Amino acid sequence: MKRTVKSISILPAYGLKAAVALAGAALLSFGLSAAARADDLAVWDDQTYEGQSAVIEQLNKDFEAAHPGVTIKRTARTFDDMKLTLKLAVSAGDGPVITKVNQGAGDMGAMVKEGLLLPVDDYIKQYGWDKLQSDSVLARDRWEDGKFGVGKTYGISGLGEIVGLFYNKKILADAGVALPQTFEEFLADLDKLKEKGVPPFMMGSAKQHLALHMIGAIDQAHIDASNRAELDDLIYGRGGSWNTKGNIESAKLVQQWAQGGYFFPGFEGISGDDAVQLFISGQGAFLISGTWYFGDMQHNPDIGFMAIPAPKGISKPMSVGGVDLAWAITSLAKTKPTQDLAGAYIDYMVSEKAAETWANAGYLPATSLAADAKPKLTPLLSSGIEMWKTLNANDALGHYPDWSSPTMLKTIDDNTPLLLSGNITPEAFVDAMDKDYQAYLKDKK
Amino acid sequence: MSTAIGLLRDDHSFGFMEYWMKRSALDGSQHANLIYLLPGLLFYAAFVFGPILAALGLSLTSWDGLGMPKWVGLGNYADLFSDSRFYIALRNNAELMIFYCVLPLVLGIALAACVWNLKQREQLALRTFLFLPYIMPTAVLGIIWAWLYNPAFGPFNQFLRAVGLGAFALPWLGDFNFVLPAVGIVATWYFFGFCMVIFLTGIQRIDPSLFDAAKVDGASARKTFFWITLPLLLPEIRVVLLLTVIASIKSFDLIFTMTRGGPANATLVPNIYMYQLGFELNRFGAAAAIAIVGAILTFVINYAIHRFVGSQHKGVA
Repeated sequence: MKRTVKSISILPAYGLKAAVALAGAALLSFGLSAAARADDLAVWDDQTYEGQSAVIEQLNKDFEAAHPGVTIKRTARTFDDMKLTLKLAVSAGDGPVITKVNQGAGDMGAMVKEGLLLPVDDYIKQYGWDKLQSDSVLARDRWEDGKFGVGKTYGISGLGEIVGLFYNKKILADAGVALPQTFEEFLADLDKLKEKGVPPFMMGSAKQHLALHMIGAIDQAHIDASNRAELDDLIYGRGGSWNTKGNIESAKLVQQWAQGGYFFPGFEGISGDDAVQLFISGQGAFLISGTWYFGDMQHNPDIGFMAIPAPKGISKPMSVGGVDLAWAITSLAKTKPTQDLAGAYIDYMVSEKAAETWANAGYLPATSLAADAKPKLTPLLSSGIEMWKTLNANDALGHYPDWSSPTMLKTIDDNTPLLLSGNITPEAFVDAMDKDYQAYLKDKK
Repeated sequence: MSTAIGLLRDDHSFGFMEYWMKRSALDGSQHANLIYLLPGLLFYAAFVFGPILAALGLSLTSWDGLGMPKWVGLGNYADLFSDSRFYIALRNNAELMIFYCVLPLVLGIALAACVWNLKQREQLALRTFLFLPYIMPTAVLGIIWAWLYNPAFGPFNQFLRAVGLGAFALPWLGDFNFVLPAVGIVATWYFFGFCMVIFLTGIQRIDPSLFDAAKVDGASARKTFFWITLPLLLPEIRVVLLLTVIASIKSFDLIFTMTRGGPANATLVPNIYMYQLGFELNRFGAAAAIAIVGAILTFVINYAIHRFVGSQHKGVA
């Protein structure tokens, strides 16, 4: 303490130059000491919503307790913020050691190409992550020479996502409609609801992607998991065509629904998020969307969740879905001990215990729960977890169509309103998707 | 002697002040004073001029935001001018100018002419009320107006249905024909009060004797407006046009919060397209090219306004 005072008192004697030099040295030594503390673990995640953030805080605290001396420096960024800053921060050298990263060419693919992410295959083997999650889930984090879905694995996700059918039990019961078991029954139910003056579907196509998920979900429910190779090839940029009978049929069906009054009136001017709120308030019998709305949907106890009923003859129907952003280790983990610590952290984040914490908070974990786990589940989440189990057992977790090329989401967004309004034919809609995809394949070569 | 001393003292004090005033660094040559511009200039260079140059350089490359930018010369511009989406965006922007510039201008002048004839207190109240939209952030306005337009719970459609005009209760922000006017009207509502206030100050500036003379000559209110008020307001018209044209070309927040350019690009404008290319598709070179074209467009249109509007009253302007 005394020495500090003395050193300050002699500062003026050295003049400005010395002060600047001292400040520089202090900054440098601070920088060095920060870098030298290997036990500080800089982690970035995208869990900015209150409920999700609380789970991460809890898990981080538990991890620190299990690893004395380790301090987690957490930064939470929204999905968009993460997209904008992660790559630049890591390449500039002051980003995270562990991060959540968006799968796909624009983010994970680009970072792998620049050598900014480290493969996690050793940790998959060491911790047995391949036993916690199915191979088709892990494949979403694989990249090699610009090819998606093959090669080394660069991450693993903690949360799962499934697109399915939300239904309002009360509205169905009032209309005398039973829950459909097959796709044919589903179509009959829709007609019956419409006859009774109930809008069969809640829909909002002004913003977000309810219509895209509907078209994808209808299409993939018609694909048996044993025939999934064609869809995988499309998504992973290995080739193929979107111009299939199945895709055209799905687009045609959705167009007929839009034109035939099966959607909530005014859906063209309602955003997806607003449509979900209207559905929760008791408008519309069905809504096709994903498990990420569980938190909102649970406010109406009449709402249930199920897979899109499969047509006769399809025993293992696929469901559109995937996983949230993946946990990955960046190139800033320079030493083996740091890398191992990062591996241990990720292992904790995808462990059965973390899965239970997520489930208790109402979120669908990507890792199956332990056999003896007793989480307090909402009815919606129970259905979600059951579906996730079945999909993984059947290897039937499908894909978001927009993952197939970097521009696909824009192409689908541009053409969906035209399809729904009848301005283009279903064939033209599928053509536009395929044109985008073929251009992407050509560019890749 | 005493006078002499007094003079001497005065001389001395004058000389003293002069001495200090001369010592003021600002009395140096203009050249030497340039150094005081340096801090401002450095900020300007770092945050305005530098980024403009960087954008210009970037627009000549293909860059994904991560690796090394690849030189493509004018490739991005060639792509842009053969991209049908860009022309859609330009056309939409041109149509939006009616709502950003023309309507607020016409409404602003008409209202200013009406409000001008009111008593002081009423004038103040109306001026304040009509100016209010202008103090709100446009992004917030976008969100609120999107609720107003909502087909399910928005008050517009509820009102239409309540008065038996349910057939006109359209999905405003999802209708290909009405979405652009629906968004544009918000800009008009935002700007017209501001325009009116500018025109009111303009009318205040006009010599009242001109109006008196017109009255004596028996000019009708209409003639007075078209032959006296309007021509003398040209400098204000020019200012309003400059500001609203710039606002229309840089329009982003309103459209981003209301429609994100949809449905099917019906409200796509160059800035939204720039955002999509840059931040959604990682094509920063192409996005920079749009920014540069937008800047050039702003300069050209503003030059035209400078050149052709209000030029016969140079003294006033």
